[in-house]
Amino acid sequence: MLFPNMVNFIRKHGIRIIGGTALLAALLFYSLNLRQKENSNAFERAVLNVTAPIGGTVSGVNGFFSGIWENYISLVGVREENKRLRAVIEEQNTRLIRSREAVLANERLQRLLDLKGGLQGTSIAANVIGEDATPWFRTVIIDRGSMDGVREGMPVVAAAGVVGRVVRVAANSSRLLLLTDHASAIAATVQRSRARGVVMGKAGGLCSLEFSQRGEDVRVGDVVVTSGIGGVFPKGLPIGEVTMVKKGEYGIFQSVDLRPYVAMSRLEHVLVLVQ
Amino acid sequence: MFRYLNILVLVIAAVFLQTIIFPAYLAEPFRPGILLIFTVYLGFRAGIRAGACSSFLLGLLQDALSGIYFGLNGFSFLLVFLLYHEASERLYTGSRTLMVLGALLATVLTAFVHLLLLLIFSASEGVYASILGALLPQCMVNALVSGLIFRLIPLAAAEEGT
Repeated sequence: MLFPNMVNFIRKHGIRIIGGTALLAALLFYSLNLRQKENSNAFERAVLNVTAPIGGTVSGVNGFFSGIWENYISLVGVREENKRLRAVIEEQNTRLIRSREAVLANERLQRLLDLKGGLQGTSIAANVIGEDATPWFRTVIIDRGSMDGVREGMPVVAAAGVVGRVVRVAANSSRLLLLTDHASAIAATVQRSRARGVVMGKAGGLCSLEFSQRGEDVRVGDVVVTSGIGGVFPKGLPIGEVTMVKKGEYGIFQSVDLRPYVAMSRLEHVLVLVQ
Repeated sequence: MFRYLNILVLVIAAVFLQTIIFPAYLAEPFRPGILLIFTVYLGFRAGIRAGACSSFLLGLLQDALSGIYFGLNGFSFLLVFLLYHEASERLYTGSRTLMVLGALLATVLTAFVHLLLLLIFSASEGVYASILGALLPQCMVNALVSGLIFRLIPLAAAEEGT
């Protein structure tokens, strides 16, 4: 009696059983992959390999059209005012924007070069070509990969300070986990008092200094730098500035908020530190 | 053949829109999740086998381009597909309003599934602030964009006519 009932049940709910099994398999797949979250797998490498070359081109074309669009917007009023002068102004405006862009790029790259000169060991300069596909996480894609010597776990810096570390590597591109992501953790120290802690990502593009003991001397405005503990980041790289310190009546640790020196939303050029 | 080519082109376009074009023009929580909107469409319209495989693959593609938790979106996209597929038998799936509402609810569902899985399996304390903070604008943007997509994409329109 039990067997025909079971067959009937399976016939009736076959699709739901398959669906439930598939869902369980997907959950198992996700939990098994958690062990490998610091390394990229073949699928991720393949996606990065396929998207990066086209991504670079799309990014370039996007920049070109973006420039044209901005120029057009800035000249609408002039065209209405004087048609004869439009061409001259357009040309001059384009030159001005280009030269201003070149000066700004030069300044950024100069700061990066200064930083590169001050760092021990070699580094690889890279451009940011894409961002995370969702708003929940903070990662960016750069145009350098294993062919250029980039490896998973390498620290990444910009002219203003620490950016994050490499978490996925393909042949010609890589993905960086930014310092502001919740999964990021960097051993740090307060420059003035040498109080130690771990800088972790927080919502709103901010960070927090975790595991800093209540008795430690941390003040608003203090500079937080990498401590070198853990061996991923070299010692003394600037991370951010303390914006809030809160000491509760109880508990071992104090609550410390930081504003990173690097503006992650405007990141363009970075240096991958080869250790 | 052309149908599969169309789908491939749409998915590739969605990937570049999500990772390159939108970040250049739109502020962080206002970038739509097009791959999730495709999954909603699959949930209401596709068959169980092809739809489940496609939605899982779309989730894995999203995982390859976002965060460090491979399989997280794979699971949540598959869950969205299975729930919507189950519900599709009782609903009028030709309605664009349903698709828009579906995209809105799918955004909420995936956000809460991510939150739950990250809190259970990972040490990502405080991740709820990022997810919940961006949830409302994400819902609105995904609903708005899904309305546009289901109006503009010939693939959707063609099937709607059949």
